[in-house]
Amino acid sequence: MIGIIMFGVALVMLMLGFPVAFTFGGVALFFGIYAEGMELFAFMPFRIMSVMQNTVLMAVPLFIFMGVVLQRTKLAEQLLTSMGRLFGGLPGGLAISTILVGALLAASTGVVGASVVAMGLISLPVMLAHKYDKRLSTGTICASGTLGQIVPPSIILIILGDVLGLPVGDLFKAAVWPGVVLIGLYIIYILVLTRLKPETAPAMPVDPGRSRKQEVISALIAIIPPLALIVVVLGSIFSGIATPTESSALGGVGAVVLAIIYRQFSFRMIWDAAQDTVKVTAMVFAILIGATAFSMVFSYTGGDYLLEDWLHMLPGEQWGFIILAMAVILILGFFIDFVEISFIIVPILAPVAEAMGINMLWFAILIAMNLQTSFLTPPFGFALFYLKGVAPPEVKTVDIYKGIIPFIAIQILVLALIVIFPEWFGMSATY
Amino acid sequence: MRWIIKLDEGLARLSTFCGWIACIAMILMTANVFYDVVARYAFNSVSIGMQEMEWHLYSVVFLLGIPYALRNDAHVRVDVFYTNWSNTTKAWVNLIGAIIFVIPFAYLIANYGYSFAVDSYNMGEGSGDPGGLPNRWIIKAVIPFAAFFIATAGLNMVTFALRVISGEKSYEVEHSGGDLA
Amino acid sequence: QEKFTLRLAETWGPNFPIFGDTTKNFAKLVEEMSDGRLRIRIDSSNKHKAPFGVFDMVKAGQYDMGHSASYYWKGKVPETLFFTSMPFGMTAIEQYAWFYYGDGMELMQEVYAPQNMLSFPGGNTGIQMGGWFRKEIKSLDDLQGLKMRIPGFAGEVFAEVGVSPTNIPPGELYTALERNTIDAVEWVGPALDLRLGFQQIADYYYTGWHEPATELQYLVNKKTWEKLPSDLQTILKTAMRVSAYDMLVLSQHENAKAWANIKKEYPDVQIKNFPEDVFQAMYDANKKLLKEAAGKNDLAKRIVESQEEYLEKTRAYTDISERAYLNTMAEVE
Ligand code: NA
Ligand code: NA
Repeated sequence: MIGIIMFGVALVMLMLGFPVAFTFGGVALFFGIYAEGMELFAFMPFRIMSVMQNTVLMAVPLFIFMGVVLQRTKLAEQLLTSMGRLFGGLPGGLAISTILVGALLAASTGVVGASVVAMGLISLPVMLAHKYDKRLSTGTICASGTLGQIVPPSIILIILGDVLGLPVGDLFKAAVWPGVVLIGLYIIYILVLTRLKPETAPAMPVDPGRSRKQEVISALIAIIPPLALIVVVLGSIFSGIATPTESSALGGVGAVVLAIIYRQFSFRMIWDAAQDTVKVTAMVFAILIGATAFSMVFSYTGGDYLLEDWLHMLPGEQWGFIILAMAVILILGFFIDFVEISFIIVPILAPVAEAMGINMLWFAILIAMNLQTSFLTPPFGFALFYLKGVAPPEVKTVDIYKGIIPFIAIQILVLALIVIFPEWFGMSATY
Repeated sequence: MRWIIKLDEGLARLSTFCGWIACIAMILMTANVFYDVVARYAFNSVSIGMQEMEWHLYSVVFLLGIPYALRNDAHVRVDVFYTNWSNTTKAWVNLIGAIIFVIPFAYLIANYGYSFAVDSYNMGEGSGDPGGLPNRWIIKAVIPFAAFFIATAGLNMVTFALRVISGEKSYEVEHSGGDLA
Repeated sequence: QEKFTLRLAETWGPNFPIFGDTTKNFAKLVEEMSDGRLRIRIDSSNKHKAPFGVFDMVKAGQYDMGHSASYYWKGKVPETLFFTSMPFGMTAIEQYAWFYYGDGMELMQEVYAPQNMLSFPGGNTGIQMGGWFRKEIKSLDDLQGLKMRIPGFAGEVFAEVGVSPTNIPPGELYTALERNTIDAVEWVGPALDLRLGFQQIADYYYTGWHEPATELQYLVNKKTWEKLPSDLQTILKTAMRVSAYDMLVLSQHENAKAWANIKKEYPDVQIKNFPEDVFQAMYDANKKLLKEAAGKNDLAKRIVESQEEYLEKTRAYTDISERAYLNTMAEVE
């Protein structure tokens, strides 16, 4: 029960505006010492060491570095505004470009902290400079930055493969269509919204002196170098030159090379970029460390057993089970980290689902979609914190909270579609 | 008041020093990963020691980055109320938060992290993999080391808050993310 | 009568097949045999978050017990290496004989005593497979510069014959092998390999030589052990021994099931033996490395010698019993 009270207290404390990471850590400290004594915190060095040795998370600083360099050299702006120009007089071009770039990054990493922050650095300033609505901008970035969780390679799918005993390759294949549909629906949403409210996403200004053809050609030329960089990153993974994590270093070095080519390079720029990178990286990892203290206290005071008890009360009939299981995961996603969910909840649900003859591959994709949403749901959606951490002061937490709502709705819609029409996504609900 | 200003500036220099090390580690880490990829792909040569160096550097980046980010107010806040508050109210939030959250949290990590590193030193712990790095205690010692500087950065939050309360400084200029995006 | 609850940290995740079944089985045995006087509370890696911190946590008394593998601690205490499985070493039954009736158990306690811990055999995976290769290994030349995920001592042996051991986080292993970032992966055996999906991307599955009898371990904090009354100590020992033996049996069962599954669903997978020159080179490399390891101190020397002597004696009997029988079977089939 302590775990539940702790969530409530953390929520109230967060509202006071003290840094999120240390609010998690500090609240955990009080409840931990109260319930288990100081000794409990002897586990902290081990938990920090696990983060240190989790080399997949190296993608976070490396991607941030790439994002910062692209931003400082204005190459990110060039990429996005040129892509936006390709849409001509159509509003929402920048937002759609952001989603497409997010989809490309998603295919090269599965670490949300890396892609959300990189996308925030690359596209938030550009969108705001072009008078985009703050909510639309932040919602688009959080949603497209989180795509990495469902678009392979994906950490959630690897963990689920492990927990459920399913081949990773099958999961990766099964996740492709849901990912594509999600991206498609994001774009459709932008198109519909901008038709109804063009002022939320103004079209790029059209140069009257140039023909449409000239515009398109010059835009295409401007897109090539930064796009080439992304292709190099992706290409290095697909060709096996680098692992997904390593590819993010190629991205950073590539961004520096572009800076040299465009005569934007200076040692000062690299040093400044390193400083920005360190600050943002520290922000992300401080949250991870605070959260690990929090989840430590939660589970060592019996929170995990409490969850297990609740889960054993789920109904035994297939549709009721699926719908309630999804609802439980969605609600827990508001509060708990996806790794905890995968390890605490999935092992309990899996045997029940299997006994019902539910196709585990389908079940795994449902969970993955659902857990992706957990990054976006206020109040504890980590993607929202990460973006806030790199956003200019005029973007408020509330803007980000409100901006994400339509995208969460879209994710729930896709989730419902996969539940009701698995065959659309090349799956079946039962064996 | 004068000594508080002196202390504040001195503590700030400690955090800046941490940031400086973290920045160097950041650049080295990028070069390290790049080198490992090129060496493996182009020259078919793999060094587990170099691969381990990657996570050693990466750990330094984020652990020593935390005190640096504290001084630069780069840690994300939920600003539902915070932005609308006066400087004095903000200062009180930061002062109390630093005293009850940051400093005790950092103290416990430093305390247990110290035995963690000493134990490793006494065992002469090294990597168990072929060609891996020796002296595991060094990277483990970064945990208490960083925690110590997180504590000093916490104290720094207090001194800065006192300066704000006295009216000599304000929070306006430095806000989450700063000039980042 | 006083009741005890021991907290056990295991290196594996919850519901990790075979390994996790072993600790659950152990906990159940302990509770039933002691009529509830002794309980085991298992924390898996998702809870303590430190799969390779089990040694330190049990040593410091943060946990009373651990379930892990001794060779993981080679970087901390080099002599721990010898109590899991050695390349070209004993088979599971031979090694159990060494532990329980040879000097194995005594030597193991001698290694762990300075660490304030006791160590007991914790279950055997049986012989581990030699790994998944994307290209066939036809000679020693094919191993030169081959990038393989193979940790620990076996990795050192492979390195001696020209392989480049490579670290890849488990989460990226599949992608790395699929896209030829690495050429080969050593994991465990059919039942656990199947879960990572290597059979979908590599056709050559090599037979094992490097871990003929991987024995897990139970670690017990010495203070915890001493505060238990002797009847509960006996119950604990018995439950450890029974659950360990049961794991060997369960491994055999699950691996056979998984292998039948691979054969049926992935007919392209071929079982291969390394060519003779490769085996010979690895055998020689292993001898050389063992000699180096034994030269480090007296304890290491005594362990290596004990294993060598025991292997010689026990193998001579295995040759005229199990091996002779299997050879006969191979001829009549
Ligand atoms: Na991804
Ligand atoms: Na959430």
